[in-house]
Amino acid sequence: MSHTTKVVITWILLIGMVAGMQPLSETLNTERLIRGYARPTQVTKILQYDAPAMTGVIVGAMLGGFREVAASMLWMRTQSLWYEGRGTYWDALYLMRMTTLLDPHWLEPWRMTAWHCAYNLYVEAEGDPEAQARMLELGTDVLREGISWNPDRYDLYFELGWTYFDRIRDYDEAARWLGAAVQFEHPEYIERLIAHGYERLPDIPKALEWYDYCLKRRPSDETAKGATITIRERYLPAWRMMEEGRYDEAIAHLDRYLTIEPTSTIGLHVKAHIYEEAGDLVRAREQWRLAAETMALNHHARYKVAELSSKLGLPVPEHPSYIYGERRRQRMEIERPIPDS
Amino acid sequence: MRAVYRVAKATYHEGWRRRFLNGILVFAILIIGSSWVFTYLQPGAELKMLIDVGLGSIRFFGMLIAVFLGVRLIPDEIEKRTIYTLLSKPVSRGQFLAGKFFGGLATVISNVALMGITFYVVFAIKAPQFAIPTEEGAPQYSMEFMYANVAKAILMSFLELAVVMGLAVVASVVFSWILAAIFTFFVYFVGQMSEFFGHLADPETGASPAARVILGTIYRIMPHFEIFDVREPILTDVPIVWGYMGRTFGMALIYIGIVLALGYLFFNRREV
Repeated sequence: MSHTTKVVITWILLIGMVAGMQPLSETLNTERLIRGYARPTQVTKILQYDAPAMTGVIVGAMLGGFREVAASMLWMRTQSLWYEGRGTYWDALYLMRMTTLLDPHWLEPWRMTAWHCAYNLYVEAEGDPEAQARMLELGTDVLREGISWNPDRYDLYFELGWTYFDRIRDYDEAARWLGAAVQFEHPEYIERLIAHGYERLPDIPKALEWYDYCLKRRPSDETAKGATITIRERYLPAWRMMEEGRYDEAIAHLDRYLTIEPTSTIGLHVKAHIYEEAGDLVRAREQWRLAAETMALNHHARYKVAELSSKLGLPVPEHPSYIYGERRRQRMEIERPIPDS
Repeated sequence: MRAVYRVAKATYHEGWRRRFLNGILVFAILIIGSSWVFTYLQPGAELKMLIDVGLGSIRFFGMLIAVFLGVRLIPDEIEKRTIYTLLSKPVSRGQFLAGKFFGGLATVISNVALMGITFYVVFAIKAPQFAIPTEEGAPQYSMEFMYANVAKAILMSFLELAVVMGLAVVASVVFSWILAAIFTFFVYFVGQMSEFFGHLADPETGASPAARVILGTIYRIMPHFEIFDVREPILTDVPIVWGYMGRTFGMALIYIGIVLALGYLFFNRREV
């Protein structure tokens, strides 16, 4: 075989292999996603093209197998920043973010990064509700991304549910994520927490459903037993009256308990809800305002005040939870696919 | 074939005589042998850490050996002028190139096999201690399942290193050995991120058209080294199916075929 023939054959083989490479490569990429060998998560999801995300990808690729070790080292650095009193600085957040990118199956950094955003940096941004809402958004987005990496464990579903329950006080969302957490092996208190969330939302029948569920699983659960008795005695009759449209009677029934315990969060929430159902938004707003004033951290009541103020055409008080909720609603609308006509 | 075999055999023996490679191997075995020490860094996730450090070391040190061995195979022959003797005998340039590649590959495979055995011993001793039992007391997954997945991951490392070896040998035909090493490292690291480039080339990311063309081209021409990385399923207890391994093997053969064909074309044009 002449030299030229060999070269021509090599070129033909080369072109053939390059042509054959693309379809096989696409097949492998798709297979990796389907089989769970690679996660479809986009690493730039939290902060679009932020420096830590980019650096994380590059450093991760360069370190190859030592990503976990590097993540641990970064985590130690974060801890030392924390003890030096610089834990609430953005540097600490970048380090934490980088750790989650290097080792996305390590749950602690996801948890801490979210907590850092939704709690510490939230407090740092005191006086700027827009910035505080942004911190809440970052915190919940971090946990959502963490869940996409660790969908088979209860931990991060719980963390997200807890952030909604405790920080944002969006009990509906809290119940949704805590409900997802109990699909996996989980501690028993999560079930009770869902019931607590529904109590405060308020959705009394659903709260009872969950307390009943807790009692069926553990008949000795004293907390669930006590809560069931209280709810059935105080709020369920009023709720049933409301469902039947007997709003005045429902309010009168509730007032008996509120006279004895005027700061009862659940009582105030149920009363405000009854006014809302009755269509008396002015009184409902007043009740939510009262609930908000009664308890400093009742962001749910503040959210409702802002929501009803908007509906009534009144000036909307700037509250981080409300700004956050509105932003999320807008994002959901953008992300929702357009239905076929 | 005999000529290829002889060149390969000589290359294999020569590879084992390179002291710095032996140094890397000894260091790698020490790191892998003590990989369980790193597990204290992540309490509660010791098994994950053990697997990651062990398999990561095999990939990392295997890559170092493949690159530094691959880039020196042909330049050394040219420097010592032994290539003239070889090519004057009835050994074609193609046979010489193939022999060098397979000899180097055999050296890398035996190095990786030693590292793999070391890791397996550590894994067999330490993994049962780190396995997290369920509420019923049984481990979350069978150790046989873990052993099989780890063995498959080591096999995948072989495939990846074969491609790296091919790249290093061919790069050394075109560039000086230092430049060839830099080039191979560059392609390896960029190849690890090819999925990321593919994602950035997506119109939805909002990148400019020019940037998308550049990123899309990188995504298409760079070897996708991440297909050989199966630590994700190991860490999340997902079985690695043989079908996927077979397709990856096919992909590795195509990559090696492409680099060797390119190497042959370049080597034919080179004045030696």
